[in-house]
Amino acid sequence: MANTKSIAQGLDVPIPARAGIGLKAQHYEEIAERLPTDIGWLEVHSENYFGRGGPAHNWLAALRTRYPVSLHGVGLSLGSAGALDARHLGRLAELENRIEPGQVSEHLSWSIANGDYLNDLIPLPYTEEALDTFSLHVEEMQEALKRPVLIENPSVYMRYEHSTIPETEFLLAVATRTGCGVLLDVNNVFVSAHNLAFDPIKYIDAIPGNLVGEIHLGGHFDAPVDGGVDGEVLKIDDHGSQVREEVWDLYAHAIGRIGPKPTLIEWDSDVPELDVLLSEAKRANAILDIEEREKKSGVRHAAYA
Amino acid sequence: MPHTPKLARNLAAVQTAVRDTVLGASADRLKGVVADDRLGYARRLNVYRNNTTILLREALAANFPVIHALVGEDFFANLARAFVRTHPPQSPCLFEYGDDFPGFIEDFTGARDLPYLADVARLEWAWVEAHHADDAPALNAEQLSSVLPEDYGRLIFAIHPAARVIASPYPIHAIWAMHQADADPDATVDLNQGGEAVLVTRPGAHVRVTVLGPGEDGFIHNLADGETLGDAFANAQAKADNFDAAHALTLLLTQGVLSAHALTEQT
Repeated sequence: MANTKSIAQGLDVPIPARAGIGLKAQHYEEIAERLPTDIGWLEVHSENYFGRGGPAHNWLAALRTRYPVSLHGVGLSLGSAGALDARHLGRLAELENRIEPGQVSEHLSWSIANGDYLNDLIPLPYTEEALDTFSLHVEEMQEALKRPVLIENPSVYMRYEHSTIPETEFLLAVATRTGCGVLLDVNNVFVSAHNLAFDPIKYIDAIPGNLVGEIHLGGHFDAPVDGGVDGEVLKIDDHGSQVREEVWDLYAHAIGRIGPKPTLIEWDSDVPELDVLLSEAKRANAILDIEEREKKSGVRHAAYA
Repeated sequence: MPHTPKLARNLAAVQTAVRDTVLGASADRLKGVVADDRLGYARRLNVYRNNTTILLREALAANFPVIHALVGEDFFANLARAFVRTHPPQSPCLFEYGDDFPGFIEDFTGARDLPYLADVARLEWAWVEAHHADDAPALNAEQLSSVLPEDYGRLIFAIHPAARVIASPYPIHAIWAMHQADADPDATVDLNQGGEAVLVTRPGAHVRVTVLGPGEDGFIHNLADGETLGDAFANAQAKADNFDAAHALTLLLTQGVLSAHALTEQT
């Protein structure tokens, strides 16, 4: 009977406001065997499942019967000047049909110039031209997938002199124009705030809670600056370690303000044992639980007021 | 001093300039475009250059683990950086990145002392392609049981979508096998032992890599070109004295080389 229930859950329920983890090939078998309950859903990088066949598809299809799945794209390059890659969008729509994901997301960034894919999420100059281009591409994506998508705030290491719009305003303008939602990456806010010297709390508080469809938490590392003074570092977002304490604090602040949201533990390099990801998921669930209880009892923690 | 024209502030021009810098060009064109604070525009752009270089190197190492093991970390880093800068991916699907890597290795000055390297890379690329190929049932002996023995010569086949054959003047299978998880740690390879042809297939979930006997690579190529089984046998026997027809037929029907069969009209 337990199986019947989890199959129904996997197929019908959208992404729940619980912790999920990024699905990695090295964990396929263990997740299928253990069906851990610390995770309420799974997320995959869409592009890893664009192959014509092979074992990855079979694992994802099998796990999809047990968990809701979110498709997180890293390659559509919504911010590129010029036309979107129609073939890429076609492959995404095909995957969407096959997997029936609870959510589909992409990034506020660009990765492709003159046909070359740079495999990094590079920030846009926040100009009216970029806003027009980006919004048009989000609309095309939503049309192809026949659903609203979520757009993730980037981790940023530089800004452009000719930017005229603050990043949060740019993101909200895209949401207003296209009807898309926001994927709030709290680690990215923390990393960018350090690198560009702004207040992360102000950034988070500028995003209306009703727009946020999902939250990301991941690890970053401190790269010493060549010739920098006083141990100066740039924070680099590499999803290669545990979520930092400061980022957990920022997450608790965000959840306190906007309420429980589906929360992903991202870990993409030096991927550890599944149990390490599950303990991070437990920690996120504990924060979500506090907020859920307080929401029900109507009492709000003083720190969130 | 050469005069660099001022970069236009439109999206396409800025993205092209950032691409050039990420792929190795000087960051100078972006001075005044990327904010030049205390850390400096070049240092900030360098984060993106590093990310691209390192992540694409890792993608290549994932697709070519034996090349990585054969040449070691430092050599591989040089090779990968040179490749990434001249052949950046044309698709955001990194399991498709590296199609041109074997050919690049062949022409890479630093790899001239390792003439077998390019063919080992071709074998690894065949593995990657097989891994992601269309799923299709493999033809087996049972499915041929309805064909009368006297009609075998008239059989033609469709090659399985995952099947690949790589032939080399070097013992590429022996080299490749030494770097697999189940390899004998004391194994050695004699580079002068002669060439090898290798069959790569994926009849189910797992990729299989099989060394081929004499004449079998040409035999499979001929079947792929639409020759009847009878003609392919005759041609293989004519070309290689020690072609073993029984071994070749077993290979076809147990390793996932074929996906469908048909009979040509009687002549």
